[in-house]
Amino acid sequence: MKPEEQYWNPVLETLPREKLQQFQLKKFKNILKWAYENSPFYRSLYKSAGLEPGDIRTADDIVKVPKTEKSMLREAQGREPYPYGSILSVPIEQVTEYRQTSGTTGQPVYHPETWQDWEWSAESWAYALYAYGYRDYDRVFLPFGYSVNIAFWAGHYGAEKIGCEVVPGGVLDTEARILKMKEIRATAFMATPTYILGMADTARKLGLDPAKDLYIKKITAAGEPGACVPATKKRMEEAWGAKVYDQVGATEIGHWGFECQAQAGLHVLEAFHLVEIEDVETGANITEPGKRGSMVITTFDRFAHPCIRFDSKDVIEWSPVERCECGRTFRLLKGGVVGRADDITKVKGVLLAPTAIEEVVRDIPELGDEYEVIVTKKGDIDDITLKVEIAPDFKRNASAIEQKLVQQLRLKTGLRYNLEFHDYGTLPRYDVKAKRFKDLRHKE
Amino acid sequence: MVKEYKIEDMAEKIRLLKKTAAELKRISGGIQAVDRNVDRILASVKMLEINIGDLVDISGDDS
Repeated sequence: MKPEEQYWNPVLETLPREKLQQFQLKKFKNILKWAYENSPFYRSLYKSAGLEPGDIRTADDIVKVPKTEKSMLREAQGREPYPYGSILSVPIEQVTEYRQTSGTTGQPVYHPETWQDWEWSAESWAYALYAYGYRDYDRVFLPFGYSVNIAFWAGHYGAEKIGCEVVPGGVLDTEARILKMKEIRATAFMATPTYILGMADTARKLGLDPAKDLYIKKITAAGEPGACVPATKKRMEEAWGAKVYDQVGATEIGHWGFECQAQAGLHVLEAFHLVEIEDVETGANITEPGKRGSMVITTFDRFAHPCIRFDSKDVIEWSPVERCECGRTFRLLKGGVVGRADDITKVKGVLLAPTAIEEVVRDIPELGDEYEVIVTKKGDIDDITLKVEIAPDFKRNASAIEQKLVQQLRLKTGLRYNLEFHDYGTLPRYDVKAKRFKDLRHKE
Repeated sequence: MVKEYKIEDMAEKIRLLKKTAAELKRISGGIQAVDRNVDRILASVKMLEINIGDLVDISGDDS
């Protein structure tokens, strides 16, 4: 295959590591200087730290730049120029799109896009979609709400940029979306892992087998960690008879990571971002594989609302694979985004990531897709309850399923749970991002 | 990457596109139908810079 048939940009995607790092340093300096000169928020932050853009000369100097986090963005907004406040780094007349974060972790962050920044968003998605195999002959269905949240908006324009035929499935309900996908023979779609599984469930209720009666060959999964949880990916791929590719991004950051067809981990889109992994306890920069930390990320070339050394709270780790078989030199993360630093919590003295529970539940075929975890406190002792559904046709095997679940949970998470088995279809269903992990300890 | 691409040549054409677009805007006399479409062209040109133009002399410092 010719390089230009394999990569959206064969030059950047296979750039030797040394040159890629030079490229990143140049880009980092540029955005730092831009933010210092154009954003009162960043100028004030850097002046308080005694830092000027010229102080950053080498890659080792980058850690001197103060980090930012979501609470700082929230604090800076809601003032003039309204509503973006002092982070805005272009005249407000140049803002052509309004977006906001989903508000999962609190007050939404407002995000301005200039026409150029929006073009950047589509461009960054084009890298990922092309890697998944989206081409101009694909008919791509977008089953999301086309609302104020960024969701799959940039996916729409990224697919359009590649030349795909894009079908907006905005206000349709799930049944209507499935019927439309069947009617027009859509070959690809994009959704959260929760919704990908939920749509398959709805299709089956309509008497359709998504793997046989629809025409989907590629699915982009974003918005939640699921596509890098092996058991969840397997469920999605089997349900749809299609390849499922993980895609990660955030409103403040833009799209920053994707799986290639080798599916050996998540490639960081390093031509557009600098990713650092910080040890949550010591703050040290983790450069070697096998150690998890919190992601600190810088976005290059997105100018209206710069994102510089943003502590995203995503928990990630570098992969031991030095060179992916796809030929890309962009570094790989093992298992994608493993969780969020906010979500990883100590229960009964054991560090618990909700994705570990998901891996256990979804790896037991007799259990349904949905589950719910509730952590409470009884006196001074943590108490953890896991609610699951038994899939239709397996009710008679409940005790054997319970035994398997207890064993696997003990093995994979080191904890004992109160288990609740519910009838299939009775646990909450979600259309976009699921809220399956509920830590109620601080509220009691 | 085994295949060699004409990075310098492409970068030069991108510079020319940018210069031409800016010149068009300069002589537009404020016609919005020209200015706004030039802005869109320049946004696309920026993507060409990101993909190709910025690779020229990557060890240099353009700050």
